Amino acid sequence: MLRVTQVKNSLLDGASIAEELYSTPQDGDNFFESLEKPAKEPENLAPRNTFIRAGVVTTVRGSAYMEYGNTKVLAIVSPPKELIRASARRMNMGVLNCYVNFAAFATGELESVPERERLLSSMLTKAMEPVVCRTEFLNFQLDVRVLILDDDGCLLSTAINCCGVALVESGISTYDLITASTACIYRDHVFLNPSAKMEELLWKHRTGTGTSTGSDSKDNTSTKSVQEHGLIITASLDTFEQIAQCQQCGYLSPETYMKLMDYTLAINKSLRQLVKGVLTARVREQHELDLREKAESALEDQRLAEVIERLKLRGLDEFIQSNIKEDPYVKKQ
Amino acid sequence: MAYVALSDAEKTFILHGVEEDFRCDGRSRRDYRPMELETGLVSNASGSARLRLANTDILVGVKTEIEVPDPLTPEFGKLEFFVDCSANATPEFEGRGGSDLAQELVLSLQNAYESPLAFDYRTLCLIPGQQCWKLYIDILILECGGNLHDAVSLAAKAALFNTKLPRVTATLLDAGITDLIISDNPYDCTRIGIDTVPLLVTVCKIGDFCLVDPSAEEEVCSTVSMVVSVSMRNGEAFLSGTHLTGGGAMHRDTMRNCLQLGLSIGEHLDTLLAKMLRQEQERVGPKRPKTVGFLK
Repeated sequence: MLRVTQVKNSLLDGASIAEELYSTPQDGDNFFESLEKPAKEPENLAPRNTFIRAGVVTTVRGSAYMEYGNTKVLAIVSPPKELIRASARRMNMGVLNCYVNFAAFATGELESVPERERLLSSMLTKAMEPVVCRTEFLNFQLDVRVLILDDDGCLLSTAINCCGVALVESGISTYDLITASTACIYRDHVFLNPSAKMEELLWKHRTGTGTSTGSDSKDNTSTKSVQEHGLIITASLDTFEQIAQCQQCGYLSPETYMKLMDYTLAINKSLRQLVKGVLTARVREQHELDLREKAESALEDQRLAEVIERLKLRGLDEFIQSNIKEDPYVKKQ
Repeated sequence: MAYVALSDAEKTFILHGVEEDFRCDGRSRRDYRPMELETGLVSNASGSARLRLANTDILVGVKTEIEVPDPLTPEFGKLEFFVDCSANATPEFEGRGGSDLAQELVLSLQNAYESPLAFDYRTLCLIPGQQCWKLYIDILILECGGNLHDAVSLAAKAALFNTKLPRVTATLLDAGITDLIISDNPYDCTRIGIDTVPLLVTVCKIGDFCLVDPSAEEEVCSTVSMVVSVSMRNGEAFLSGTHLTGGGAMHRDTMRNCLQLGLSIGEHLDTLLAKMLRQEQERVGPKRPKTVGFLK
């Protein structure tokens, strides 16, 4: 259907642009064919390669940077500030606001960015509300800002993980550590931590699922079971096995829903170990820094004490005399 | 949701009622409040419905427009939701006060209608890749009495059932351009299939128990609620979008209970709604009761 013929680009010295400008419904199928398909029942319930670092921005107290595979996210927690317009419903709880922003280079298509930002902000706020002790800052609002540097799927779950670390780093009291992960099902294959391409396939190429061949499948729908597709994002607080948020989209039977949720909960458990490790390492590092600082100040104190001691021995007059300097503007008589 | 001020004693009373399976208004935990549903009230819209669920009052109008389909989904039509929280409902909605709530409702509806299995976008297609219908579903909240998600989804489904798309014939002109001719006869129209259109069921957790259709007072008492979107397909219930809301967390087992409760209630609600809509449609001529309207 929509195929753009490759035009020689004069700027690139006659080379043609490798990437195609438009994708077509057919591309989705091609991509799926080329994809390495996971087993129907995934055994290895592990997160992607993850890097988390707390306290990366020096201008605010709480910040964290996280890489989840190729997805890169930066979260910042600013200290609570007083509500400008307090209303009755907000009296008994602090207010949590989360804002998600895409860096200009984070994603290929720019049209859908404002809508996605809005959706992600709203979902992130819902996921973070249960974990923050909101009763501790009545009449205050807490702003959490997330900047997405690179998008390769699992955006919301990565943002939740990153915000969790940033909240702890900023010293806001939380009930527990929060971890989140994503799983999706497409054409009977379960994909854990789906990539951006996979998520796009789920949403954009919706024709690919279910009744794909038009008229003849219409007769089959009564006999053939419905082909499920869908995505689940689960955020959990594992100390008391609580689920903070479980967002699902797509079309799933209740059994598949519970199955996918259990997969994500298992991934959350292993992510939790990692987050715990990062945070303890961070505390230890901070402790060492504090110790070093203390040792340095102790040394300084000792030096000053020695000076004072020496001066006492030499007598006060000498000390005063030694400190009187000749005034260069007053000529000696 | 609209805020109701409750004292601790009142909250305890509601909580005890829920524990006894006998709520303030005499319902059990699985009961809905009485509903009033009317369709075809708004003469300027292609389809409309008004739903009153005890104190919650919703008016939905569906408008249609012809558009060019998305190149990635050439045989799909489009849907767009818009929720307006009228300041009549609560003074809190004045200015931009209702926009958060409106956005939340729009997002959950969009999420529920996203899948082509939940809403058959193919029925909105005129010429694949060239012309399709776009439906604007405008939802007006006239009064807020709790359980907005359920009320809004029920009203939207009823309005979609009531929507009449004029029959369109296409003629092929030169150079592959097609010209659409819209039928002049207002009775010559097509309907939209609503069998699989999802309904949202809010399962609210108060104390240790889950209940459906919370009133505004009960919503204040609840720690967390789960919005379950139920779509019926070949007599089986499917989930087309669920999420937790209300700022609390729940255990996995509680969640499974909520899910099951939501699914069974959704299934029941769906059959009842379909029955009522069919009954209303069949009542034509003198048998048809006079429309009451939303201002009564």
